[in-house]
Amino acid sequence: MRTDFIKKPLDFPSESMVNESLAYFGGKAILPTDNRKTNFPYITKEDVMQMLVSIQHEPENVVGEFSEKYNKYVGANFSIPTASGTSSLHLALVGVGVEPGDEVIIPNFTFIATAQAVIAAKAIPVFTDVDPDTFCMDAAQVESLITKRTKVVMPVHVHGLPANLPMLQEICLKHNLKLVEDASHAHSASIDGKVCGSIGDAAGQSLMADKNFPVGGEGGISFFKKEEYYERAIKFLEESGIDYRMSWIAAAFGISQLERLPYYDEVRARNAQYLSDALNETKLFEPPKVPSGYKHSYNMYRIKLHRENVGLEDLEDFKVKEAIQQLIMEEGVFAREWQNRPIPGHLPFQNKKGFGNGYPFTLADEERKYEMEDYPTTLSMFRNTLTICRELRSPIEYERIQSYALAFKKIDQNPEAIREVVSKMDSSIKLPYEKDARLG
Amino acid sequence: MDKRKQFQISFVLSRVLNSGIIMSIEKNEKEIKGLEKFIGKATGLPYVSVFNSYTGALHGALYGQDLVHGTSTHLPDITEQEDNFLAWLGITSVGGNEDNVPFQRIRVNWDNIHNFESLMEEHSTLLLDLTDLGFGPCGIIATNQELIWKKSERLKIFGAFDLRTMWTQEESNYELQPGVQFNYRISPLVAACVKLSLLRRGEHNED
Repeated sequence: MRTDFIKKPLDFPSESMVNESLAYFGGKAILPTDNRKTNFPYITKEDVMQMLVSIQHEPENVVGEFSEKYNKYVGANFSIPTASGTSSLHLALVGVGVEPGDEVIIPNFTFIATAQAVIAAKAIPVFTDVDPDTFCMDAAQVESLITKRTKVVMPVHVHGLPANLPMLQEICLKHNLKLVEDASHAHSASIDGKVCGSIGDAAGQSLMADKNFPVGGEGGISFFKKEEYYERAIKFLEESGIDYRMSWIAAAFGISQLERLPYYDEVRARNAQYLSDALNETKLFEPPKVPSGYKHSYNMYRIKLHRENVGLEDLEDFKVKEAIQQLIMEEGVFAREWQNRPIPGHLPFQNKKGFGNGYPFTLADEERKYEMEDYPTTLSMFRNTLTICRELRSPIEYERIQSYALAFKKIDQNPEAIREVVSKMDSSIKLPYEKDARLG
Repeated sequence: MDKRKQFQISFVLSRVLNSGIIMSIEKNEKEIKGLEKFIGKATGLPYVSVFNSYTGALHGALYGQDLVHGTSTHLPDITEQEDNFLAWLGITSVGGNEDNVPFQRIRVNWDNIHNFESLMEEHSTLLLDLTDLGFGPCGIIATNQELIWKKSERLKIFGAFDLRTMWTQEESNYELQPGVQFNYRISPLVAACVKLSLLRRGEHNED
């Protein structure tokens, strides 16, 4: 039997570790090479028992039970469980009335599914740049992008930090647009106690295995504020024939995982706070900013780099980032790029093939140019940030988050090592967004 | 639920859970690959692609043969759902004869699971619907044409190209560059159950 059980405990880390030689140069790594794995998601006897209970019921009832329980947890009015996050976004858009040729305003920085869901709804994606502090949609740009074809604004709660929904709601109200949340990173995240997914007119959310709240492997869920939107989505499913159903196996796993979600959320928040406090003691690293009243779910944790604070401002920013990445990886912390190119710079939006023969791009009044240069804040973010992805997701051991904090402190006090790594770099090193586009 | 079917599903699921299978993309992609390998052997069609629904696989089979928005095709005995789905894709369903059928469709269930291959005709591309096995929506394409397989994988977010390296998009062959993409990736848990069902071929039923 294969097992995920962690056989070797981490040693208690010591503050003195930050004074040792960097692992990159042959010193001892903060996290030993044989103990860097993050186990996620956790499967317990409750998951197995729930599966055995669920198997006694009709598949649609199992999926229905999951949907009802999670819908209640989120505080949404109506929901449709789906096979994936992408399909949930598609249904959310269709539900609020998106029709072929409509425009949907989304951020350029997100997982590609956000934009592909717009295409699936046969609409045209229009991209904003991001806010330099939150990395979510720059709400200030939205009004300038509204045309007579705009139907929806769909922000993404990037990494789990809610987008500026109060401002976006005002804009939508003013221009008679619908607000659809892409809450795929934002399970349990909230603004003033309102949980993401329940705030907009509709929402889509991924529940795949890599998310804070995973169902059994792949899944998603659409939320709707009004019955009219829900009914429209249901009617679309019937009329299109498309099968977006969630497997009952995935749903059964979701039922038992949901019971433990608040616990995992608390542990993740605690770990994120611990790491943020530690990074605030450094000159080089800045933790995520969380506006007052916002609850970040920390599906990912993006760290800003301030090379100017450690005397490295003469070096090119992306090379400093690359050097830090190499150094921290050697210490056992997988801080890396998550995405490296604005979504409009990916081939599906450069080629505009769509469903074939250019549809639905051919429905646009005029051809939209998708140029990466239109998103300077995002490009700067790619050059000056690193992301911790799954390392904070599970209830990782306290000693592990301590070790991460120490690894960043160790790098922070060795700026000359960063300079040395940069000096050895091949001169042909590319900017992040000049490299092949990454999906994740 | 039919008792025989429930027993089969219970048996398979118990085996799958006891094998320690979890849901991580990287770890359990082998479950999906294992299912693809089995279908390749069983059908003699080496290029296999699994989808999270029959309509997903239908989309893949069409897309793989350049049957896209603005084109037409003939599916004999087309169902209402298939007809609706084609219309939604912008593909016109037309009449025709057996010579221009793009692929064969077979529904696999607990009654024919032991010999579904015997239903195969002389087609280079096969479309299987395994949803009736009861683990959740599941569709599979099997073909002897690599290009059809490649194109259908490109239709998927997290298709074979993406998962191999987590890099995407940079494809020199324009034909293979992605257009619209759907997340048609099946849950590895569902794939594992389907695979085990096929491997056991229904030998452990209460009969």
